Amino acid sequence: MRSTVIKGTAFSRRCFLSALGSLMATPVLANSPLAENLFASSLSSDTPLFASAYKAENGSYGIGILDDLGQLLARISLPGRGHGVAIAPDKSRFVAFARRPGTFAIVVRPFVSADPEVIASEHGRHFYGHGCFSADGKLLYAVENDFMAARGMIGVYDMSGPRTRRIGEFETHGTGPHDILLSSDGKMLVVANGGIETHPDKGREKLNLDTMVPSVVYLDCVSGDLLASHKLDRSLHKLSLRHMALDAQGRAWVGGQYQGDGTETPPLVAVMSRDEAPVFTSFPENATAGLQNYIGSVTANADGSIIATSAPRGGKTLFWKADAGDYLGYQPVPDGCGVASIDQASFLISDGNGGLSYVSNPEDPAEILARTPGISWDNHMVSLI
Amino acid sequence: MRRLFLTILCVGLAAPAGAMDYKAPVERIISDYIRPATADFSAASKKLPAAATDICLEPDGQAVASFQSAYSQTIEAFARVHFLRFGPLLDQDRVSRLAFMPDTRGIAMRQIRKVFVDKDASVLSTESLEKKSVAVQGLTALQLIAFDKTGALTLGQASDTKEFVCGYALAISENVAEIAAGLDQDWTDEAGYSALLLSAGPDNHRFRSEREALETIFNALSTGLIVARDQNLLPVLGSSEKKAKPKRIPFSRSGNGILFLSSELKGLEQALNRMQLKAMVAFEHEWLFDTAGFEFKNAQNMLAQLEAPIRQTFSDNNSYSKLAVLAITLQSLRKLVSPEIAGALGLTGGFNALDGD
Repeated sequence: MRSTVIKGTAFSRRCFLSALGSLMATPVLANSPLAENLFASSLSSDTPLFASAYKAENGSYGIGILDDLGQLLARISLPGRGHGVAIAPDKSRFVAFARRPGTFAIVVRPFVSADPEVIASEHGRHFYGHGCFSADGKLLYAVENDFMAARGMIGVYDMSGPRTRRIGEFETHGTGPHDILLSSDGKMLVVANGGIETHPDKGREKLNLDTMVPSVVYLDCVSGDLLASHKLDRSLHKLSLRHMALDAQGRAWVGGQYQGDGTETPPLVAVMSRDEAPVFTSFPENATAGLQNYIGSVTANADGSIIATSAPRGGKTLFWKADAGDYLGYQPVPDGCGVASIDQASFLISDGNGGLSYVSNPEDPAEILARTPGISWDNHMVSLI
Repeated sequence: MRRLFLTILCVGLAAPAGAMDYKAPVERIISDYIRPATADFSAASKKLPAAATDICLEPDGQAVASFQSAYSQTIEAFARVHFLRFGPLLDQDRVSRLAFMPDTRGIAMRQIRKVFVDKDASVLSTESLEKKSVAVQGLTALQLIAFDKTGALTLGQASDTKEFVCGYALAISENVAEIAAGLDQDWTDEAGYSALLLSAGPDNHRFRSEREALETIFNALSTGLIVARDQNLLPVLGSSEKKAKPKRIPFSRSGNGILFLSSELKGLEQALNRMQLKAMVAFEHEWLFDTAGFEFKNAQNMLAQLEAPIRQTFSDNNSYSKLAVLAITLQSLRKLVSPEIAGALGLTGGFNALDGD
């Protein structure tokens, strides 16, 4: 992998980590015996890095930075449970969001500032756990809840200055927006409206299961105009569309969580584009057993030719061939949910028992690379650089 | 009438989860399993430094045998505590410093090679060793420097590096003994983590309810079963007998592979039994505990048929298919423990599965 050049400085993984190491507020492995060797020699400049929210055994929360051997290299503490992480296109900074209905997000700019910046959600809004950057990296789009009106919103933040400023918002034309992606051409936002209404006064209680209408919408990322909205057939209105990844053709692969009767076995994974209505993949009988109609995260490999969909309740991660939608097989990973692409041929899967598993071929057993003591890896893991 | 009475009795026994005393099993596992097991581990590891010194002074038959025995006893005792991944075992990174596992990509070996190339004197004293990478300071590192690839105990044998290896081995032995003593002390401390587990409630910042305290322990045991199968056994089996890798059994380099596997399962079984959970569940769920006992016994029987040192005997003796059967047994045990027994007790498990987003 090539290094990116920022402000004339060769931007390598090691630079990134040492920069992170300067964050005094978040002692990065200050006392960890592993740090020394990793910083000193083992970490080559092209080691891929990953980030994931976690819960520690002592009840605290944070974001962990990992290498491709599953070793925890850095920890950044969070004021509450985290969820998704958005990374700037030039990789110079990232934003970790609170899990819904949290009201904080933290911006980490390791090359610029020693302290992560904490953003509080606007009055009358809370974060929904995900966000993404604009193609030029100047704007951050965060999914938010206008909970008085039960209206899904996208908060638009200016990230070009030293401090983050909220400069506007768009509607998501739905309820309970969750994952958000920038389209391959950088011009549209793809938003999964989960369809579930919640109100912070009632925690995470689902208020509208009988009338929910999930959708995936395509919005103009400058004007916020609605360009396309894909709703599901009436019979599937309880399939909350939540997590997404783009394949090589720029199509969105969407994983759902079914809120209807547990005895039903609805399809859970759909593929769509702005102009193509959702088409569901077909699950072989043996793969659906035990999934409990729940997909936890969706990730594409480096070239977008393979899609991984994790099903933590079933303890399985399923793989799909992106072009034809063929099912490739699954890997059993108990409580596995976070999936990050390592390269074209492999994925790293994180689980709630601290495990980090390497998967390169669905036929071979997953290789457990590490088991971080006292850490439960949360829903999502992303490739950082 | 008699039948009606029985029906009423059964309904009465199926007590609602809210009525369960979740504190008693926590008290029992602390006093009847965790404290004795951590004391045993501390006692076993205390013998390592002297054994390392003796074998380095005079590597005669007796010194060799006593180092072998001290190392094996430490591994056996470690196998019975390594799954207690909460509180004291996590403090000061103890579990990783005691053993760096899994290490499928050979991180420890790479770092140890560097230690040797640099003649890094910081590995020669406990004070400086404990500040180094977790991968070079515990029982897994000791195994790499004291035993060779063929399983032979080379510590103390004449060589160019004898003095360095001996100094390093002694520092690891003292480090392990010190960590184990700290672990034992912290669990014995009535005002320490035990008090936190036993004072669950709204004012306890860590455990808001007694159920949550029990869940922490129970989930560690269920994770222990996942580790025993997915991490310690499946990599050995690979995708076929041709791709089997007996070297992947933890501590098999020193000939303690089977000992480690059987001790960790004995530990998990005892830890579960000593909580006396069977008495807490409704009559219709009691069979779960009998079946779990049966499966633990099957697992031990299967391991008893294997011959140590497993790396050397693996290709004979039909070891592959025995371990394959063991993997199936462990899979059903895991399902029995969680979700079945966990469910019967009204406990929840699975961080991502539980309340995802």
